[in-house]
Amino acid sequence: MIIKVDDVMAFLRSSALAESDLFKEVILPLRLKVGDKEVFFLARLDGSDSYFLDGYRAVDPIKVLFYGAREQVFPVAAKPVRRLIAGVKACDLKALQLLDRALINKDFVDPAYKVWRDSTTILSVDCTEAGPACHCTLVGGKPYSEEGFDLNLSRIGDRYVLKAGSEKGRELLDVIKCTTEAVDVDAQAEKAVLEGRAKMTELVQNQNSDFRRSEEYTGLRGGDLSVWGQESRQCVGCGACTNICPTCYCLILNEEGGSDTFVKVRSYDSCQWQGYARVAGGASPRPRMRQRFRNRYLCKFLYMPSNFQTLGCTGCGRCTEACPGQIDFRTVVRDVLEAPPPEPENPLGPNAQERREI
Amino acid sequence: MSNPYEVIPATIYDIVQESPLIRTLRLRPDRPIRFKTGQFIELSIPGIGEGPFTPSSSHFVSDVMDVTVMKTGFVTEHVHKVRVGDRVGLRGPFGTWYPLEKFEGKDLLILGGGCGLAPLRSLFLTLVDEIQKYKSITFLAGAKTPADCIYKQAATEWQRYSRVRFVRAVDAVPAGESWGEDVGVVTTLLPKVSMDTSANPAVVCGPPVMMKFGTFDLLNMGFREENIYLSMEKKMYCGFGQCRHCVMGRYYACKDGPVFTYAQIKNEEGLWD
Repeated sequence: MIIKVDDVMAFLRSSALAESDLFKEVILPLRLKVGDKEVFFLARLDGSDSYFLDGYRAVDPIKVLFYGAREQVFPVAAKPVRRLIAGVKACDLKALQLLDRALINKDFVDPAYKVWRDSTTILSVDCTEAGPACHCTLVGGKPYSEEGFDLNLSRIGDRYVLKAGSEKGRELLDVIKCTTEAVDVDAQAEKAVLEGRAKMTELVQNQNSDFRRSEEYTGLRGGDLSVWGQESRQCVGCGACTNICPTCYCLILNEEGGSDTFVKVRSYDSCQWQGYARVAGGASPRPRMRQRFRNRYLCKFLYMPSNFQTLGCTGCGRCTEACPGQIDFRTVVRDVLEAPPPEPENPLGPNAQERREI
Repeated sequence: MSNPYEVIPATIYDIVQESPLIRTLRLRPDRPIRFKTGQFIELSIPGIGEGPFTPSSSHFVSDVMDVTVMKTGFVTEHVHKVRVGDRVGLRGPFGTWYPLEKFEGKDLLILGGGCGLAPLRSLFLTLVDEIQKYKSITFLAGAKTPADCIYKQAATEWQRYSRVRFVRAVDAVPAGESWGEDVGVVTTLLPKVSMDTSANPAVVCGPPVMMKFGTFDLLNMGFREENIYLSMEKKMYCGFGQCRHCVMGRYYACKDGPVFTYAQIKNEEGLWD
């Protein structure tokens, strides 16, 4: 189905109205100028005019809308609200697939995440711009979504090509059809979508042509620890990279009850923080910054793939953007992979040298 | 599906001060908690926090539970302040357990030290409930000093079983304390063990350094990597593989452990830290 951009926006506005029984909340990107840059923020739809479905991913990952930075999980505080999140980009959608595997599986269901997930409709949009740190194509991603959405929008000129990806999406498409002028997708439109996607893919590929692709990242484990030390020398261990990562979901569980009641609240934790893996008595498997720094890369490219059969990185580049030490993820990977191989393995284990230093 | 974060309140009906730093809380949960020996629970002090502990009672008992806790940090400090009658919370059980069926008909070696004796007491009490199933149990227990020895009555009680050999050692005997048993780190007891090491299982739990060198000694004695069972201590925060604090490479200590064979995890980083 093809619909004019203005009509899609008008539909979103009408569905966000109080009297609409379609959605109680519509969230979409707001385009704002910050300094000399234009960036996107996720915001609730109200009267503003600066909403913009296209462009590239927002500053905040949509993780924050499904897995709160601080959320009461016992007793569960999340109450289902029918909501629509529009303008979701492929990298965020891919991250949601990893979170689904981690938080809703046969062994475990996070009650709050499930409430938010079940009550949300996702409208994804193909990227039409690339942020300076965008690198989805390095990690097997694409600047457009092929699955995981309820409804996807691909922009061609002043119109969108709409495609449903779920039953929820098909129902929504039927509702949109009733209220707006829509025409069927023809071969010409399909061709335009493919061309737009190819152009965007090329753009992201070109801006990352100096960097290594994820097929090579298994080599990260073998890298010399001293290289990680070099790469992490600007790292202050603030945890911005993990907090803003769309797939990081490590949590702290706090007990916030009274004298005879139990209340469990979970908040984001960060493997970059010193106390993260510390056990009673003070021992820690990663006492040094370089070890914690390295852990994040190994988690994304070795541990998460073995846990969830997908990379822990979607190429959104937020970790690079958020870093106060201006550490670029892509440069680190390149430097580690290109460093000379470490000396033959010490029989005391890969961290033997590290231990001596402590 | 039930909420995995759900807390089951429990009442403390007795407290045993095992040593200056270690005490055992005896709990009666509001509803019975069935676990398998080796699994762990999360013990909450209301409004303070929670931590992972292994029950130290037999898994054949589910209406009450013993939990042995060493004072070593913030939460455990509060565990050492609670009194009989106070309410605490329990979540779980979580994780893997000792595969008792693999111990049947075998000579089992148990090597433990310090607060690591807590899960081993649970294992031991579970085993002796069906003692006829096992050929013999050799239990080597270590502590820093005689005063640090926990489960003090156990020595005499546990020796009652004809198939059980329970041997204790302390690292040192400070002036003013007396000790009629072995002196030395617990692994120095290993040369005294005479058993077929090629096919029999060994269970190890204790402080990291003891686990490490204990395992190496067992390997040198001829125990096979897949027959050495380790109870790993990592920071098990949530209990079900969500929070990722206890990740050891591709394993979660909470979900894939805490009971691992050495063969499973020997190549994981930070194993002994």
